[in-house]
Amino acid sequence: MTELSVNDLHLDYGTGASVNPILKGVSMQLQRGEVVALLGPSGSGKTTLLRAVAGLESPKAGTIDIGTRRVFDGARNFEMPAEERNLGLVFQSYALWPHKTVADNVAYGLKLRKTPSAEIAKRVKEVLSQLGLGHLGERYPHQLSGGQQQRVAIARALVYNPQVILLDEPLSNLDAKLREEARAFLRELIVRLGLSALMVTHDQGEAMAISDRILLLNNGRIEQQGTPQSMYQTPNTLFTAEFMGSNNKLAAEVVSREGDRVTVKLDGGTAVATLRGREDAKPGEQLTGIIRVEQVRIAGEQTGNAIRLPLSTCMYLGDRWECLFKVEGGPAGSVGLRAYAPQRLDQGEYWLSLPEQALWAF
Amino acid sequence: MQTTTTLPRSEPALPTRRFRLNWPRGLVVLLAALAIFVPLLLIFYQSFLSAPFFAPVKTLTFDSYRFIFDDPDFRQAFVNGLTLATGLALIAVPLGGMLAFLMVRTDLPGRSFIAPALMVPIFVSPMVIGFGYVVSMGPVGFYTVWVKNLLSVFGFEGDPWNIYSFTSIVIIAGLTHVPHVYLYASAALRSLGSDVEEAARVAGASPLQVALNVSLPMITPALAYSGVLVFFLGFEVFGLVLVLGDPEGHLVLPTYLYKLTNKLGTPSYHLMAAVAVCLVAVTMPLVMLQRWLLRSANKFVAIKGKGARQKALPLGKWRWVAFTLIAGWLLFTVIIPLSGIGLRTFVSHWGDGVNLLDVLTFENLLNVWDQPSLVRGIINTVLIGVIGGALAVACYTAIALAMHRKQDGVTRFLDYSVLVPRAVPGLLAGLSFLWVFLFVPSLLDSALKGIDNPIALWLVDSFIPALRGLRSTIFSVWLAYSVVWMAYGLRLINTALLQVGPELEEAARAVGASRSRVTRDVTLPLVRYGLVGAWLMVFLIFEREYSTGVYLLSPGTEVIGSMIVSMWAAGAVELVAALSFINITLVAVGLGIALRFGVKLHD
Repeated sequence: MTELSVNDLHLDYGTGASVNPILKGVSMQLQRGEVVALLGPSGSGKTTLLRAVAGLESPKAGTIDIGTRRVFDGARNFEMPAEERNLGLVFQSYALWPHKTVADNVAYGLKLRKTPSAEIAKRVKEVLSQLGLGHLGERYPHQLSGGQQQRVAIARALVYNPQVILLDEPLSNLDAKLREEARAFLRELIVRLGLSALMVTHDQGEAMAISDRILLLNNGRIEQQGTPQSMYQTPNTLFTAEFMGSNNKLAAEVVSREGDRVTVKLDGGTAVATLRGREDAKPGEQLTGIIRVEQVRIAGEQTGNAIRLPLSTCMYLGDRWECLFKVEGGPAGSVGLRAYAPQRLDQGEYWLSLPEQALWAF
Repeated sequence: MQTTTTLPRSEPALPTRRFRLNWPRGLVVLLAALAIFVPLLLIFYQSFLSAPFFAPVKTLTFDSYRFIFDDPDFRQAFVNGLTLATGLALIAVPLGGMLAFLMVRTDLPGRSFIAPALMVPIFVSPMVIGFGYVVSMGPVGFYTVWVKNLLSVFGFEGDPWNIYSFTSIVIIAGLTHVPHVYLYASAALRSLGSDVEEAARVAGASPLQVALNVSLPMITPALAYSGVLVFFLGFEVFGLVLVLGDPEGHLVLPTYLYKLTNKLGTPSYHLMAAVAVCLVAVTMPLVMLQRWLLRSANKFVAIKGKGARQKALPLGKWRWVAFTLIAGWLLFTVIIPLSGIGLRTFVSHWGDGVNLLDVLTFENLLNVWDQPSLVRGIINTVLIGVIGGALAVACYTAIALAMHRKQDGVTRFLDYSVLVPRAVPGLLAGLSFLWVFLFVPSLLDSALKGIDNPIALWLVDSFIPALRGLRSTIFSVWLAYSVVWMAYGLRLINTALLQVGPELEEAARAVGASRSRVTRDVTLPLVRYGLVGAWLMVFLIFEREYSTGVYLLSPGTEVIGSMIVSMWAAGAVELVAALSFINITLVAVGLGIALRFGVKLHD
C-alpha cells in the first residue's frame, strides 16, 4: 500500500523575474514499511521536497497524497496546512523546545490531539523507553548530549503514530564517531517499529546503510532511483556513478567497440571497458571512464586489462594504504589513478588491473 | 582570544611598554566620567541641603526629604506613577508580543506599510502625542465633536469619552509604548530559528497554539526585558501626564517635580533634588535589572537550526481579524493624534458648531516666524540634530572605542557608568546640568579667590566667564542631550563595532599596526556606514527630545521640545500646534531619509 505519493511536483523560490525553480517535476512513491532516502548534492532540492511534503513549503504545481488523503493539489490550488497532515518530522537541528522538558516535548503532539493525560503519560513513557531515554524525561534539552537530543526528536515525531515519518539529515549534527552508532540505531529502530520513512541526506554511505530505496536528485529532477545495490553497482548516468562511492575519473578515447564492450585508450595504456548510457559511442570519441577505487588491482607484472603507471605517493588510512599513480610530467591538473594497497609500496612503475565489468565508460 | 594580543611575549625586549599610559583613552574616560557623575553628585549633594546651593546660608539636613514625604501630593504622585507603570506594562507587553509574532511570522496583510508606521510613536515626542490627543479627543477635540454629533443623531447626548481621566492616560501610555516591546520581541523572534515553530506545526499546532506554546515562551527573556523597560519608561512619563493629567490634577513624580516651582513660588532646588533622588532610587534598580536580564537572556538561546527559508504562517480566517486589530491600534495611537495636530495647525479656532472650512488658515504657521524665540528654537533644533548629532556620535564612538575589545577594569567601569544617565529622566538631567553650569563656576570662583598666580588669574578672568557664558548657549542643551542619550547612542555604535570580525583587527595587529592604527585604518573605515546610521538615529531622538531642555530654557537655548512645554504652560494652543507640526515634519524628514538609505531603525 502506498503511504506517500508525489506526482510531478514543481516548486519555485521567488516570483517574476527573479524566479528560481527548485523542483522541476518530481514524482515518487513510498510504500508502507519502506525507507526511502532522498540523496543529492546541496541545492538539488531534496530538503525542499521533504518540506513540501510536510507542508512547510508551497509548491506551484503537482499533487501530494498521504495515504488516501490529498494534501496538495496544484490544479485546484488546494494546500492542507502542515498541522493537519499528521506527519512526524525530525529536524536536522532537532528543534527541541528548550522551555519544555523532554517528556513535555514528546507529549506536546498528543496534547494537541486531546489525548487523555493518563494515556499521554503512558505513551510518552513507552516511546522514551523504546528509544533508551526512559530515565531522562524530566531533563531539559540542553542537559542532554547530541545523540540523546536526536533520539528525543525522533521520539517526539513517533509518539502519535504518524503515517509517515520524515527525517531531515537526521545524523548530520552528530560528530563522526557518534554518527556510525546512530546510523545502526536508526536502521534497527525503523525495522523494529515497521516505520514508513522518508529521509533526506547528502551522505551516500548513510543513504545506502539506512534505506531500502534511494532517490538521487540532481538540480530539481530525479536522476536515478533504485535499491542501494543497484544504485551503487549499476549507475545509469555519469552523475550517479560519480555521486555514489569513491571513484577514479579517467579521460578515455574510444579505440574500437563491440556492442557494450569498448576498448579505450587511457593514460598508461589501453583497456576494455563497459559502456553505460552511451550506446552511440564511436571510435575516436572522448568518453569519461569511471572505476571505483576499491576495484583497481595493483600488480608487479603484466596482467589482463591493465595499464602501467608510476607510483606518485602513498597515504596511510589505518586499515590500508591509498596509493596515487600518475604519469610523470603529465598535463597539469591530471588527477591520476588511486588504488588501495595492503602495505606501503616501493617507488617504481606498477601494472594496474581494471576489471572490464567495473570500468565504466560514460 | 583577544588576550593573546596583549601578552608580553609580543614585545619581550621592551617590557616597560606594557605600562605606558594610553593618553587618548584616559582623556575619554575622564571626560565621560565627569559628564556622567558631576551632575548626579550635585543633585545628591543638593538634596541634603536646607537651601539652594548658591544661597549664602545653608546647612546639611534631611528637611527636604521630610517635607516631600509629608506632602500628600508627593505620595499621590508616587502611587500614580506606580499604577501608570504597571498598567502600561500590562497593556504594552502582551500587545507588543502578539504584534511581533504577527508581523514577523505570519502572512498578515499589509506588513510592509505597517512596519514603518509602528515606529511613529517611538520617534514622535510624547508631549506632541499628548497634545494631539487633547486637540483630537479632548472635550472639544475634532473627533469628540464629530462623534458627539453622530451620536446625537441616534438620540445619545453627552460626552462619548473622557480623555483626561487617569484610566485614559494609562491606556494611552500603554498603547503608545507597544512599539518598544514590539522592537525587542520582533528582534528576538527573528533570531529564533523557525524550526522549533515548524516542529510544533508538524506536531499539529495551529498558528495561535504555535504562538502561545512555542514562540512567545521561547522569547520570554526578551519579553521580560522589554516589560522591565516599559515599566521603567512608565516611571519617566512626563509629557503625556503633563498635558492630559493637568485638567483633573493627576500627578506623577516627574510632573510633581515640574510643578514644585509653582507650588512654593521660589526656586526650591533642595526639594526638587530630594524628589530627583527618590526618582533615581526607583529607576536605578530597574536599569540594573534590565542589564541583568539582557545578560541572562543569552542562557535561553535555543539550539538554532540552519536558516531554512521561512514560509509565513498562514493565518487563514484570522487574517483580517488580526489586520483589523492592528489597524485599530494604528488609528488610535498614530492617525488620530497626528491628524488632530495637522488639523489644529491650519484652523484659527475650533469648538462645538464650528464649520471646519470657515476657519481654515495659515495664520498659525506664519505667526511662528514673528516670534524671534520660536525661530531661534527651530534653528537650534535643526542644529542640535544635525551638528549636535554628529558631535554626539563622535563622542559616543570615542567612548565605544575606549571599551572596544579591551576587557579590563576601565571597560567595566565605563560599562556601568554609561547606564547611570539612563536612570536619570530627561527633566532631571536638564535640571542637574543647569546646576552644573551655575555651580561649577561659582565653586571655582570662590576656590580661586585670593590665589595670585597667572593660571588662577587666567581661570578667573577667562575660563569662568566662558563657562558661565556656555549656559546660555545651545552647548549646554547639547551636553545634556548627549549625556541623557549616552546609553542608547553607545548601543548603536557598539552594534556597528561588533559587526567587525575580531580577526580583521587581529590580522592588522599581526602585520604590525599599533592599536590606534588598527582603529584608524581598519575598524573605523569598516563601520563608517554604521556611524552614519547612528547619526541619523541620534538626529531623530534629538529632534524628539523635550524634557531635557525644559530647565535649560533661556534666551539662546530654545529648542522646539522645551518651547512646546513652555507655550503649553502659557496656554498658546495655536503656537503649540504649529510647533508640533514643525517638529513632526522634521522627524518625518529624518525618518524618510533613514528609510530611503535603509538604516535599520532598531537593532
